[in-house]
Amino acid sequence: MSNEILGRVVATERRPNTPHEFHFWTALDAPVGIGTIVRVESARPVNGVLPRIYGVVTEGFGYTDLQTPLHDVLGADGQPSASAFAPTERTEIRLYTAAVLRHVPEEPLQPVPMGTVHLAAEEDVQVALRMDSYTSGETKRGIPVGLYRAGGTEAAIHLDADFLLGPEAAHLSISGVSGLATKTSAVEWLLSSIFAHFPAKKGKVAAVCFNVKGPDLCFLDQPASSLSDDDKSMYETLGVPARPFENVRYFAPWSARGTQLATLRSNDALQANVQPLTWGLKETLQYAEVLLNKDDIDAKADALIDFIKERVVDQTFSDPGFLERAHEVRSFTELEQWFRELLRGMEARNADVWRTHHVATIRKVRNRLTNISTRCKGLVTDDGMVSDLPFKEGFEDRAVYVVDVANLEEDAQDLVFARIVSQLREHLEKRQLGVEQVVVFVDELNKYAPSDGQDTYVRKMLLDISERGRYLGLVLFGAQQFRSQVHRRVVGNSGTALFGRMDPDELATPGYQTLAPATKARLATLEKGQLMVRHPHFGQPIFVRFPRPAVLTGREGVERFPQAEELTLDQAVTKALRRIDTSITLGWVQDALALAGEDEDGVLRARNRTLQARPDDVKAFFKAQLKKRATPEVAGRRGPAPLRVPTSDDPYG
Amino acid sequence: MRTPEEAPRLEAAAPIESDAIRVREVPGGALEGFVAFLDGIQRSRVLAHAGTVPIVHGAVAAAVRHRVAKRAHTWDAPVVSQALYAPVAQLEPALARALGARVPLRDTGREEAPEGVQHPQEHTARALTAVQRAREAAELALIGDWAQRGAGPLLADGGISGGAEGAKSERIVGVVKSHRTLYADAAAVPLLLGLREGERTTAVRLSSPRRLPVASWYLRLRDPTGRGPLFGLVRVEVALTDELTARADLVSRWILAERAPVSLPDARWDVMVYGVRECEQYLSAILR
Repeated sequence: MSNEILGRVVATERRPNTPHEFHFWTALDAPVGIGTIVRVESARPVNGVLPRIYGVVTEGFGYTDLQTPLHDVLGADGQPSASAFAPTERTEIRLYTAAVLRHVPEEPLQPVPMGTVHLAAEEDVQVALRMDSYTSGETKRGIPVGLYRAGGTEAAIHLDADFLLGPEAAHLSISGVSGLATKTSAVEWLLSSIFAHFPAKKGKVAAVCFNVKGPDLCFLDQPASSLSDDDKSMYETLGVPARPFENVRYFAPWSARGTQLATLRSNDALQANVQPLTWGLKETLQYAEVLLNKDDIDAKADALIDFIKERVVDQTFSDPGFLERAHEVRSFTELEQWFRELLRGMEARNADVWRTHHVATIRKVRNRLTNISTRCKGLVTDDGMVSDLPFKEGFEDRAVYVVDVANLEEDAQDLVFARIVSQLREHLEKRQLGVEQVVVFVDELNKYAPSDGQDTYVRKMLLDISERGRYLGLVLFGAQQFRSQVHRRVVGNSGTALFGRMDPDELATPGYQTLAPATKARLATLEKGQLMVRHPHFGQPIFVRFPRPAVLTGREGVERFPQAEELTLDQAVTKALRRIDTSITLGWVQDALALAGEDEDGVLRARNRTLQARPDDVKAFFKAQLKKRATPEVAGRRGPAPLRVPTSDDPYG
Repeated sequence: MRTPEEAPRLEAAAPIESDAIRVREVPGGALEGFVAFLDGIQRSRVLAHAGTVPIVHGAVAAAVRHRVAKRAHTWDAPVVSQALYAPVAQLEPALARALGARVPLRDTGREEAPEGVQHPQEHTARALTAVQRAREAAELALIGDWAQRGAGPLLADGGISGGAEGAKSERIVGVVKSHRTLYADAAAVPLLLGLREGERTTAVRLSSPRRLPVASWYLRLRDPTGRGPLFGLVRVEVALTDELTARADLVSRWILAERAPVSLPDARWDVMVYGVRECEQYLSAILR
């Protein structure tokens, strides 16, 4: 505990102290700044106890005995250079305003008394931020968020896991201008910290991260190119291993052409933990509302979609009056066939209505639904092929599941987001996910849960998570450039908020009114690696530093692991199948394709089914799939292809 | 409460730098020389009346502010004292004892005329004079200390002839801002009132029965154009010395260097150097 007197509390009638704010002056060279934590020692006991008050500096003033600037002008004869020759500097004051963090004892809550002001030492910081209740003993559950540094004091700042991941409070909101990589870095760092410090007795924890732009999250399992000594020291002090994430799995949809996954993590050296993300009709239809706006869907159309979901999909459906045969609709292709036959039947019978559904409604719904597989090409498959996150197998403890949707259209991103989060929720409710807590990281939250605009499925879902997710263990980590543009119920339910460098215009919005001008000014100039933290236990926002994440940045990653070149169909198939059978060569694939004479879609379907089944005999299974699809009704089938001569420069041979 | 002022007057003084008072431009311009500043303040108020006799509370303080790296710091310790002032003979003995029990009681009746003072305002005026003397005594005590232990030239606010150490030490320079008495004969008055910025008069010797002799000259700190004849005019007091011209020139340069920063908003900013104002502010803060 620092006994050196740093300053003295002062109060005047014009500037009185209150229970939540006080003023003090210091020497001109005192190591005090905005964000410094101080301790006030009073010499007047209350109820027999000497009060001790902790505060954080929120504003600073400096002035001299000069009554008006004109006096200085007069004194220097109007020549600024003449002022430099004054033998005496004017009497000057450094006056600071501090917001109270904590009174000890807490009662009676009185205005801050006159007293001496001291720099907070490490143990003072613990008490001031109430971290003493959760960073030691049997209830230890602190999650380091960064280091507080001021005036030679260095103290680890911990968040309370119960208030970061639930159940007391939950969710995290991080705001900051783009371009400094602060938001992504902070989340990467915090996830490392959570994985290192989340108490095992509180259960297992995993993270699902949506990579919505660029290569930001594509190299979480690769070590950082370099960490400074200061970074390493911070890792050591905060008790977090300076290592990349050990267990990361990547999921990405196929590119529109389908030959390779649509991700910047396409380098061959990194494919071991990358797998496709594809859904079929059933998975997609559950969330059709995400892709169909209100103009698309009225009550009549909604009723028909519900009918299709409940009575048609994934079962045998027959209607001898209108359909020539029984249908088993398991894919978009089969749904299209069902629609086509139904409409043909209605035309043949000159019927306007089928089972209370008007023909116009049927045509409209057909158009909207069958259009989905085109709009979400690469993600939604015509043939019902599903490759999903391991909801059935269960999530692993302290694993990160990255869903790369950066290359998807906005609609498709919404679909991915809605379905995955809904599945997480569903499995968490049933306690079938394998972990008790899941952190869902969503960047550009202002896009998914905007403060204005029409109510969307995704926004409703995010509101639901933010308000009820903590009871399930579903925790939202949302990042956005402008917090003011995110729905207030989402940010309002975030127990913890982090702020990187902020845009001054954003700081002028009502959400920041409670911050002092100096605090705002500091926020507008924060360096990379600095954050302002709001947390339920902290009476006031605290400034911290955090180390650079120990993972490869997206920018460095794409340089070190260049994106794979666009592959030909046979190369793409070879590359994919070699992941489950290393004996497969380009020549073998070329032969198989030539013999089968399959079109491109058929080849890709065969590849996908093989990947999904992971059979013991990959070659036989793949060939069988090619043969299975080589049927006359498949539209656009090509004629037999000429036999190919294996290339000598087979990169997979 | 204000101290009664003397009536304005002229008092001839013997020239010592030349055969008569002359005007001399200070050669070389401003030069930083002082390392410390001394000032004293006093406060007084009528606390109560014992019958018709006012009992005055007086407090005085004086300090030396040492300038280090352009910043002022209190040298040694300030002198602070307080007392009650009243004609003890006119108080009930019990009251006098009670008054003196916690705060020193200074008797203002010892120098009374035989018939005694009866007017309450005369009592008050005597008390104020006593407070003023206490303040002067505090200043002289510090001047003496600086003369013995201080390092470098000290600028004292006011005259230095009241104490032996100040009047004889080369480290002490007194700067007088008020001019109720002009030390010049009628012929020299136009000269000293006509001084231009940066000019001084030649030095004269000041002496009186109750004060020690010192050398003194007038110095114009600021251009008086459009302001009046006393604007920016100070009188300087130093110990008598053989090399007086060189000494007066050097000290004048030191004082001219103290014109910045200006002491605004003090009404006497034209003649008050900032070091003295800063010292006065310090004393105002500590004298409660």
